[in-house]
Parts: sequence; structure tokens; C-alpha cells
Amino acid sequence: MRGRTPLLALRQVSRYFGAVEALVDVDLEVHAHEVVALVGDNGAGKSTLAKVVAGVLSPSSGQVEVDGEPVTISSPSVANQLGVASVFQDLAVCENLDVTANVFLGQELRGRAGLLRDGEMETETRALLEHLTIRIPSVRTPLRHLSAGQRQAVVIARTLIGQPRIVVLDEPTAALSVAQTAEVLTHIQRLRELGLGVILISHNLNDVRAVSDRIEVLRHGRNNGSFPASATHEEILAAITGAA
Amino acid sequence: MVGSQSSLREANRARVVDAVKRHGGLTQVELTGATGLSPATVSTIVKELVAAELVEVRNTIRSGRRAQLVTLAHRVGLVAGVLVGARQLTVAVADVSHEVLAEQVLPLPAEHRADTSLDRAALLVVDLLERVGSELDEVLGIGLGLPAPVDAASGQVTVRGILRGWDGVPVAQVLSKRLARPVFVDNDANLGALAESTVGAAREVHDALYVRAGHGVGAGIVLAGRVHRGVAGTAGEIGHVQVDPAGNICSCGSRGCLDTVVGDRALLEPLRSSHGNLTLSDVVRLTNEDDPGCREIVADAGTVVGGVVAGLATSLNPELVVVGGVLAATGEVFLGPMREALRRRTLLQQVTPLEVVPAALGTRAELEGALALALQHTDLLEQPDTGPNGPGDVAVGQVRTGKGNR
Ligand SMILES: Nc1ncnc2c1ncn2[C@@H]1O[C@H](COP(=O)(O)OP(=O)(O)O)[C@@H](O)[C@H]1O
Ligand SMILES: [Mg+2]
Ligand SMILES: [Zn+2]
Repeated sequence: MRGRTPLLALRQVSRYFGAVEALVDVDLEVHAHEVVALVGDNGAGKSTLAKVVAGVLSPSSGQVEVDGEPVTISSPSVANQLGVASVFQDLAVCENLDVTANVFLGQELRGRAGLLRDGEMETETRALLEHLTIRIPSVRTPLRHLSAGQRQAVVIARTLIGQPRIVVLDEPTAALSVAQTAEVLTHIQRLRELGLGVILISHNLNDVRAVSDRIEVLRHGRNNGSFPASATHEEILAAITGAA
Repeated sequence: MVGSQSSLREANRARVVDAVKRHGGLTQVELTGATGLSPATVSTIVKELVAAELVEVRNTIRSGRRAQLVTLAHRVGLVAGVLVGARQLTVAVADVSHEVLAEQVLPLPAEHRADTSLDRAALLVVDLLERVGSELDEVLGIGLGLPAPVDAASGQVTVRGILRGWDGVPVAQVLSKRLARPVFVDNDANLGALAESTVGAAREVHDALYVRAGHGVGAGIVLAGRVHRGVAGTAGEIGHVQVDPAGNICSCGSRGCLDTVVGDRALLEPLRSSHGNLTLSDVVRLTNEDDPGCREIVADAGTVVGGVVAGLATSLNPELVVVGGVLAATGEVFLGPMREALRRRTLLQQVTPLEVVPAALGTRAELEGALALALQHTDLLEQPDTGPNGPGDVAVGQVRTGKGNR
């Protein structure tokens, strides 16, 4: 196999919240140019896993590796340095800031005197939107004027600031219309084409089977099956519910 | 001075039209952002374009507020095209001058099912109409393409197993029930053939073959300027011509079909140990980036497909072979070996040697064909009046008697 060393690997990762076993000895590998879907029922531990990878939560035990090297993702900024970008369920966007400001939120480009390099950020935002074939009329449009799908697209564009190699998307199509879902799924395919490793968390098996290379099932915080994208709806569902 | 000013104005007009095309419909404020032109310039240009009947301004709701949407002029009425692929659904809305106003691609899972995919197609049609400020009652008809042989009258797949999940579904009826518009269905290669023979590479040719090489291989046969479908709609299904009598059993139930040798699974499997998990688009992209392994796979496929096309061409004596589908996007890597396989057959070199050319419409041929199919049927109707209850009253069954004849 090309790229035998995964970009990202979780080895026997556990995370407890007091008595709650959110993750128990979970293994996961993500290679470059690969979309790995993480599916499971509510409370299966998907978001917890995403937060561990994003440096928001630290594992109670187990090992995380990037490029085969053990790492400690102790904070979101460490995650960024390691090339991991994440989008969480509760989209953090600023309604009254424009597209550019939202794309660069918290990662603004500044010149020597600490001044914002607005022109540069606008140019880069335009290039990013173009790159992802995102259709948003203007990078100066305030977010409140955009549809839910366009906002999601802005948030996905944001993950590409700083040229990450791994993108984690937690429920990116939840609450979107079919057309908006279509856009987001197309962006995910684009991320894969650009050579990134993607972790896609979703409830919707249709969406997941449409764009993933591999589907990993979590159940009660544990691995409960790994499927190729060609697996049937029923097979995956059985692993999710524990019928298998 | 005057010259450069007028060419600047031309360029600005082009920018506005391009932006409207790209987004389907935009408000003037959005146009300002999209073009970088001043609000005053945008306003002047929009007025000029409206006067020239190139764009229209429509009242609509945007983000919950009333807004005026600038869209391309919808001449007479609209048609929708739906192309169902092995792994994606494409929906487009065009006006009767064949100008595509809006388009959307939705990735689909392997072995998707008719019920969910048609639901999604219907929702996408409605969404695209909204994007261009239109409503369903402006739609004269919907053309739909399927990657399997179909009965043109019912839109039902005629060979079980080839498109699992769609077997036994009267596709035209199901979608026209969802949208209350007439729906016309054909096989995707036939639609590619229709588009290429009307506005594409074969437009000046009477007899032509359109070969679509993608997840599977199919052909559309154009005889005397018309697409030939056959009694069960299986004409041109070269993906199910036997090439290996000792080969694997095909999805159709026969042994050693062309699709078992050059279908997506057959192409991707030998790359797995060296290249990992690839999709067909990955193979095309890597081939175009000169990856030797992928080039080898694509070129060998060209030879095998060429051999089968040679047989069909020997029987039908067409003037031209037009090649479409995603594999054709590798250009000569696929077409070269195909051409070579045809060149070896003596009968194909007589009077005018059989030519092999890429589809002029590229990978868009099938979608354009779906739009053309809808347009063709609406041409058969009385010229519809554009009023609110214009062509919508025509029942599905009535319209379909023409069966795609021009
Ligand atoms: N911050 C937290 N404190 C306590 N329990 C938590 C916390 N976050 C998650 N959990 C629990 O961990 C389990 C996994 O949750 P989560 O990872 O959000 O699941 P999923 O995203 O698959 O729905 C659930 O039982 C949940 O209640
Ligand atoms: Mg969650
Ligand atoms: Zn067959």
C-alpha cells in the first residue's frame, strides 16, 4: 500500500469522564488521500474522539501518532502545528464578520506592526474558495447573509488555513438541505483529492458511503467493525446497533 | 480612447454575465461583491443586459428577506436534466435555448437505491429552481439518464442486476409524481449520443457511435441522425459483449462481459496493491499526471474497448466514433489504443477511414443529452404559452409517445 505509515493513528486510546467510558481502547488509522468515516449511535464516542484528535480533550490512556511518531496533542494549537484541523458540530462563526474574517478567525495574518494584512487574507480566501469550488459571491459578505450550507463551506475553508494534512469534520451535514449536503460532500471529495486525510463523522450512512474510503464503527466507545465503502447499509447498520 | 473604454465596458459586462452564470442568480449587492465592480456600474450593466434580454430581474426571498435576483433570461421556459451515475447524481436546470442556469452534483453511495436517489433528485431540482428564482410550473419537462438499458416509455431498467436498487422501478412515473412534471428517461450513453450528434462532435455526421467509458462501458448508436434504441433499449450495450469466455460472471448474469474486464472494479483491483484505495477519478487524474501504473491500466482498457467497438463498427459502418465518459478525460492515453484497435480492421478503412475523436462536450455530454431529451419532447408539444398553466397540463403518457424521435 502506498503511504504505509498512516498520517494519524490512535492506538488503544481511552477516555473516561468519571465513570463514563466515552472511549475504550480505540484504534484508528487515517492515511493521506483517504476519507475515513466514523459512525455510531448517539453517545458512541465520536465527538470525544474528534476532540482528542483536535487537542481539546486529552486521552486517559493510549497513544496518538502522527507520521508514525508518538505525539501529545495537548491543545488545539499543538494540533494545528501537527497539521490537524477540526470542525465541530457547534459551528463557531461570527455572524457579523465577513467571509474572510471568519476564514482567518484566530489565525489572522499580521504585518510587522501587528496590523492585519487584509488584502492578503482576502486574496487567500478567494483562492481557497476557488480551490474548493465553493460558490460564495463575495469574500466580503457578512456570514449572516449566507445560507447554512455556505457557512459550513466557510468553516471547511477555514480548516485549510495553515495547510493541514488531516481534517476532522464532526457532523458537517447535520441540518443541511440536500443541495447544501451535496456541496459539502463535494468539498470533502476535494479535500481527499488534495491529498489530505479526512475523518468524517456523520449519522447519515448515505452521505458517509458516498464519499468515504473506509467506514469505522464505534459502539459504546469501542471499535465495532471496519468496512469498505462498498459495504451495504444493512451491514454497517448492524454494527452500529450491535446486531452483528 | 473610445475603443479602450468600450472594450472595458465589454469586459465588465462579461464579468457580470459570468458571475450570474456561476451562481445561477445573484442580487445586485452580491454581484458587486462577486465582480469587484462598483454598485453604480453593476446597476448600469444590469439595466443594459435586461434591455438586451440577456438577464432578467426576478423578485425573490433571500435569507428571509425580499430581494431582486438577477438571473440569465429564461427564454420561453425551463427544462431540467437529471443524470444518475454509478457514484453521483447531477442535476441541471436550463432554459429552452439550452443555456444551463444552475447545476449541482451530489456524490452517491455504491449501489444506491431508486427511492432515496429520486427523492434527492426531486429536492435538488426544486432547490436549483429556487436558486435561479423560478418555480416548478416553469419547467416544461425533465430528462433523466440512467447507467443501464431502459424502456423509454416507462423509464424502467430492462435488464435486472445491472443497476441493483433500481430494478422494477417505473422511474419516469416515480419522478413525475414527485414533481408533477413530465419525465423522459433514457440510457446515459444514448443521451451522450443524442447530445454529441445534435450539438457535439457528430453534429455533421449521419451515422456515428458514441462510446461512453466510465464506471462501465456503453455505446449509443446514431443511425441516419437518430439514436437507435432497440426493442428492449439494450442497443449499444457493449459493456455486455463477451470478451472472455472463461471470465467472471457479470452483473447481468452472463460470463466474461467487457464490463468484467474494463469496468471500474476490474480497473481498480490491479492497482490496489501498488496504489492503495483509488477511485476512477483518481485513476484519471493520476494518468494525466503521468503515473505509469495508471497509464498502463487505462491504455490496456482502450485496446480492449477498441476491439469491441471494432466489432460494432464493422456491423454498422459509422463515419465517426465519439468517445466520452470519464476515461476519455485521459485523452490519447485511452483514445490512442482504441484508435489502433480500429485501424487493424480492414473494413473500417474503406472510402473514409473510421475516425475516433473525443466528445466535444467532454464529460458533460450525458447531462446535455438529458436536457436535450426534455427539450426534444417539449418541441413535440404545441409551442407552449408561457402563462402559469401552460405546458404543465400535459399528462406524462401523452407526451411520451414520440419516444425521442426528432
Ligand atoms: N464533557 C463531558 N463530560 C461528561 N460526559 C461526557 C462529556 N462529553 C461526552 N460525554 C459522554 O461520553 C459519551 C460519548 O459522547 P460523544 O463523544 O459526544 O458521543 P457521539 O458524538 O458519538 O454522540 C456519552 O455518554 C456522553 O454523555
Ligand atoms: Mg457527536
Ligand atoms: Zn454483462
